[in-house]
Amino acid sequence: MVIDFNTLYNFPSRLDRVFEEFLRSPMGDDRRLAYPPLNLSNDEENIYVRAEVPGVTIDDVELTLTDKTLVIKGERTAPEGKFYRQERPSGVFHRVINIGVPVDREKVTAAMKDGVLTVILPKSEEVKPRTISIDVA
Amino acid sequence: MSEVVKKEERKELTRFRPATDILEREDGFHIFMDMPGVSKEDMSIDLEEDELTVTGRSTQCPVPGEKFVEMQFGECEYIRSVSISDIVDRERIKASVENGVLELFLPKLEKVQPKRISIEAQ
Repeated sequence: MVIDFNTLYNFPSRLDRVFEEFLRSPMGDDRRLAYPPLNLSNDEENIYVRAEVPGVTIDDVELTLTDKTLVIKGERTAPEGKFYRQERPSGVFHRVINIGVPVDREKVTAAMKDGVLTVILPKSEEVKPRTISIDVA
Repeated sequence: MSEVVKKEERKELTRFRPATDILEREDGFHIFMDMPGVSKEDMSIDLEEDELTVTGRSTQCPVPGEKFVEMQFGECEYIRSVSISDIVDRERIKASVENGVLELFLPKLEKVQPKRISIEAQ
């Protein structure tokens, strides 16, 4: 005997989906669970870590590089005054990023532009992809 | 034919409303807007009647050959409108940008001194 469950479960109908789309918050606040948002990327030479921290100068951010992790820590302060609306986050933020490959610790650089912090970690020599030549005996 | 249409649509960036703090101090109102990745040249502020509209485009500077492992923010367009009340002095509105935060200063109108109106004899 085969039971067709299709009629028992109430899948969202097309009308429900239209309303869901309409009421979805335009701020896209479900796009991240931890603050600040990070972009992690790499190419053959380096690992790039970017964090969105507007309103913070590079001196206010603490970057700690251990053997296998990079820690980004800092604080955002809210301005003084009588608030009518407060949406910007404030307080201490702390993010830990695991780095799977060994990096050249001496050559790590960090820069801040328009509130985006970019940390460039060069991969150490042993890890860079290398072609192996094959000798035909 | 539908594939050509799809490519044109991809140029439109997602629109976000930037996180905004609106506060009042003695000298006037201050509005702070978080727009990371937007440089001063990519921002524009328009005042129309009673509405102040701020738009900005964020830029990513990707390195060629870069592959993303995780992407939690990207290029987007920030747009937000704020209504201005009548006690704001529109001539003296100031804007400044620092570290990706736009600060708008909206001073309050100074109280107009009472004037004595002179009567002309006919």
